Amino acid sequence: MNMIPARLLSLLASIASIASIGSMKSMAADAIPDRPEKLQFPELRYEPPNPANHRVLLASGPVAYLVPDRSLPLVTVTVLVRSGAYLDPVGKEGSAEFTAGLLVRGGIASKTAEQLEERLAFLAAALSSGLGEETGSPVTLNLLSKDLPEGLALVREVLTAPRFQEDRFNLERDQALQGMKQRNDDSSSIQAMEARRLAYGTNFPAARVLTADALNRLTPDDLRAFHRRWYHPANFVVSASGDFDRADMTARLEKLFADWPFKGDVTPPMPSNTQMAPGGVYVVNKDVNQGRVAVMLPGVKRDDPDFPAITVMNDILGGGGFTSRLMNRVRSDEGLAYGAGSSFPGGIAYARAFQAGLSTKSRTVAYATRIVLDEMNRMANQPVTDEELNTAKRSFVDSFPGNFNTASKVASLFAADELTGRFAQQPNYWSQWRSRIESVTKDDVSRVAKKHLHPDKAVILVVGQKEEIVKGHPDHPVKLEQLASGKVTELPLRDPLTQEPLK
Amino acid sequence: MKRFLRAWACVAMAAGAAWAQKIPVFEKTLPNGFKLLLVERHDEPRIAGGWVAHVGSANERPGITGIAHLFEHMMFKGTPTLGTKDATRDLAIIAEQEKLRDGMREEEAKMRAALRRGDVEDITRPEARTERYRELEEQFKKLVEEQRGLLVKNEFDRIYTTAGATKMNAFTTEDMTGYFIEVPSNKLELWCWMESERLLRPVFREFYAERDVVFEERRMRTESTPTGKFYEQFNAMFWDAHPYHWPVIGWPSDIPAITKRQADDFYSLFYQPQNITLLLVGDFKPADAEAMVARYFGRIPKGSQPPPEVTTLEIQSIAEKRYNAEAETNPQVDAMWRTVAFGHKDSYALEVLEQLLNGRTGRLYKGLVLGSKVATDASAFHAAKKWAGFFDLSAEVRDGQSLDDVEKALYTELDKLAQQPVPAEELQKVKNNFAAAEYRRLTSTFGILYQLIQAEGLGDWSEINNAGAKFQAVTAADVQRVVRKYFTPENRAVARYTRKAGTGASDEDPDLAGLSGDQKPMVRQLAGRIRDMKDVAQLKGMLAAMQAQGAGGDPKRQQVQKIIVRKVEARIAELEKKP
Repeated sequence: MNMIPARLLSLLASIASIASIGSMKSMAADAIPDRPEKLQFPELRYEPPNPANHRVLLASGPVAYLVPDRSLPLVTVTVLVRSGAYLDPVGKEGSAEFTAGLLVRGGIASKTAEQLEERLAFLAAALSSGLGEETGSPVTLNLLSKDLPEGLALVREVLTAPRFQEDRFNLERDQALQGMKQRNDDSSSIQAMEARRLAYGTNFPAARVLTADALNRLTPDDLRAFHRRWYHPANFVVSASGDFDRADMTARLEKLFADWPFKGDVTPPMPSNTQMAPGGVYVVNKDVNQGRVAVMLPGVKRDDPDFPAITVMNDILGGGGFTSRLMNRVRSDEGLAYGAGSSFPGGIAYARAFQAGLSTKSRTVAYATRIVLDEMNRMANQPVTDEELNTAKRSFVDSFPGNFNTASKVASLFAADELTGRFAQQPNYWSQWRSRIESVTKDDVSRVAKKHLHPDKAVILVVGQKEEIVKGHPDHPVKLEQLASGKVTELPLRDPLTQEPLK
Repeated sequence: MKRFLRAWACVAMAAGAAWAQKIPVFEKTLPNGFKLLLVERHDEPRIAGGWVAHVGSANERPGITGIAHLFEHMMFKGTPTLGTKDATRDLAIIAEQEKLRDGMREEEAKMRAALRRGDVEDITRPEARTERYRELEEQFKKLVEEQRGLLVKNEFDRIYTTAGATKMNAFTTEDMTGYFIEVPSNKLELWCWMESERLLRPVFREFYAERDVVFEERRMRTESTPTGKFYEQFNAMFWDAHPYHWPVIGWPSDIPAITKRQADDFYSLFYQPQNITLLLVGDFKPADAEAMVARYFGRIPKGSQPPPEVTTLEIQSIAEKRYNAEAETNPQVDAMWRTVAFGHKDSYALEVLEQLLNGRTGRLYKGLVLGSKVATDASAFHAAKKWAGFFDLSAEVRDGQSLDDVEKALYTELDKLAQQPVPAEELQKVKNNFAAAEYRRLTSTFGILYQLIQAEGLGDWSEINNAGAKFQAVTAADVQRVVRKYFTPENRAVARYTRKAGTGASDEDPDLAGLSGDQKPMVRQLAGRIRDMKDVAQLKGMLAAMQAQGAGGDPKRQQVQKIIVRKVEARIAELEKKP
């Protein structure tokens, strides 16, 4: 986080006299090469920040990451809470989500929700809270540094004494119910819900969909109980970035977490027992003129030793945008889709699924899906080119500084690593990251592709006009039954409120 | 710079006055007409680079709507030396493809004639193609196959990606076409090479496949979303004379009719240096950057004639317009008024008005969501575009409430602002947020580039430095004046959406039909708890208590009690049936 040099303005003022356009042009017009490979670039060295230099173990409990950056009079403080929908008590589904949401929006002991919101708005401060998944649920404050003491006092109250005001609870619930009613309106939302169910199993927390009934059973007292059990310093990781002095911020954070008024439980680990549906094509009929396709296979956790090779492999297959094979084949060659790609994310607590996807007009859904499966096959059975491997590796390595380009990004990245245990296991994770990518070979790419990409076993979800999709295209005679295992199952649309199949 | 800024900020805050945070932009015009904007910034070893062509869909005409955006896609297809192994044969193939396409276009004209006569229903279906069209298409495909053998696929992207570039993309609006990327700070020359080459000698290969891609983009954004088609039609109804009337993506019949020749003409008219602004933000020395840019972009000849400006002015609206739609969405109201263009002296008061209405402490939320509870969400949006502007108010109807009440409530909030000046503290709250935003917008290099592209594309980059003081100068009287001036019934168009039958929840519990929106959640919650109860004796006790107590004379309460009694009885029956 280097700053803009102090002499900038005077420097700018002098530029006009330094640079004479005419002379520059005549000097160099014929020196421009015909290919960019012929250009020479100065060397660029970059070392990422070291988490250990920013880590502070607070006497009041949590670990904090402090990244001062005094270029602007703004501060961001985030408290990550180890929470998640998997902690919802049976019969109280929605507790985690609504506790996280209403923490800030439901008022605090000394202020009603209205008073709190007015005060924050007057200070032009942003205070938000919400449910996260694998990297914790954030409570985030961003404000002008002159207001930091007041802001932190509010954060303490939000965390220790949320009011969960009844009218705000009711409003939040009614807004959520209205939102639920839109679940089948957009094919992308249907796809997201069904894809998670197919990839992880209906009862896995990440795939669970809250019903209106469950929500209607929930009360402010349920949120109070959930809050008291999980929201205390043993379950927090903190990050702070911006306009502050390290010692001063440390003292403020000690105060923020000292003498917590209640004791709770330490959050248990997230479950990891996912269950992918049997391979085959699953179709949800929805009257839209563009079908959505998701091709899924079991994935890995990010601590898998093969994960760097998987990352490079996926980049070549479909993760790398316009340099990836899926984009080249499905979009550029055939004009079948605006976007086509794949992701192989690597889960933290559980193995996140591999997913390739695209959207194309109904009549070319089967054909475009065939191309995706063929490319998966090719990846598993033929070596990639040197150029492809080089592009993927350079792209990761040379764009690496972007992970640390703002103080707040650095602080939240390190805090997330603390929360997920990555810092404890691999304190040098980021300093070694580039060499791990560099060391991936063509053989590694082929090996992991062969191990993980099995088009014949894929779970293929299609959302769109079933009749038109089944018809296919006269120029491209591919049928849905010819994809993957050959089994085609129609999935019913579900009632948006009950999630029961609609007739 | 850091210390300098900080001192400046402290003084302003202490005075409790408005303060501003300028972005230090160096501006220069090259001899061939390019405008160049540079912002030096060493926060990270990266450079965000971009350029904006002062052309958008407003510069199109009927028949080629969507061409500005399709053209944006074509700018990534390469140059004579990028994207092909054999430039000569590649160009020859493109010429042969065009000949075949001319023949196909004759057939397309016949297909449209058949459509007008009613001989075919839908000319977009593959079955509607004529015999001759299919023959020509087969020949065309053979040329595509041959060309594919020569292509170096997406080489433009590959070179940048291999160099560690990120965020490469472009966008098209009614007013501008922006291109941007971020490169490592040692690759400034690569940026100059790549961008000047594609401006100097672009090759629009794979034109027709890309046209299909754009049509898929239209399906994705407009046609297959719940409200996309409706917003498009409402927008077309909102603007009468002005070219903002047609969608940026283009009408569905225009996209597949745009020719490569039209794209060539478009390029020579609108992509001349004097119609383009180049921008660089990041880790470089301005003097070096300027020299390098001059060297590379100086090669591009100045255009022979200035591109035409948009001269059509919107006609005055003389009657309210109303649009009633059934869509797969929750009921909502969307009201729009014609306002002013970017940089207009009233635009600042209108933006302040937008902020007074918006947010969780804004007038709309307090009035409609928390207050009268007719809506579950409400928001305001002012769009001051390059040639004209509009102000939009929208709200989602709360269950059990009516569209009429929500629409009225939106107007009530405006009426209050027209009648009563905004209290000082409320106005100050909004101004404090404008002031803090002056800092927040400076947190990333790429963010600064993006803001500069937007402001420059709308007409004047310096607005990013000048608007702050103008927001701070807005008075309560200004707000009152603009509300009275622009928010008249005859200046408005209103879209009202109801849910299309058969696309909602199979609905809930039929017992709850007839209850008001306020009662439903409470009864639902009670019913949920009753379903969870397992103790028959306790349930029977509840039943007895309710019967003893009665519901009094209030018919609403009687109805609620009747439902609860039914639920308790049903639960008892269920529990007693179990072995």
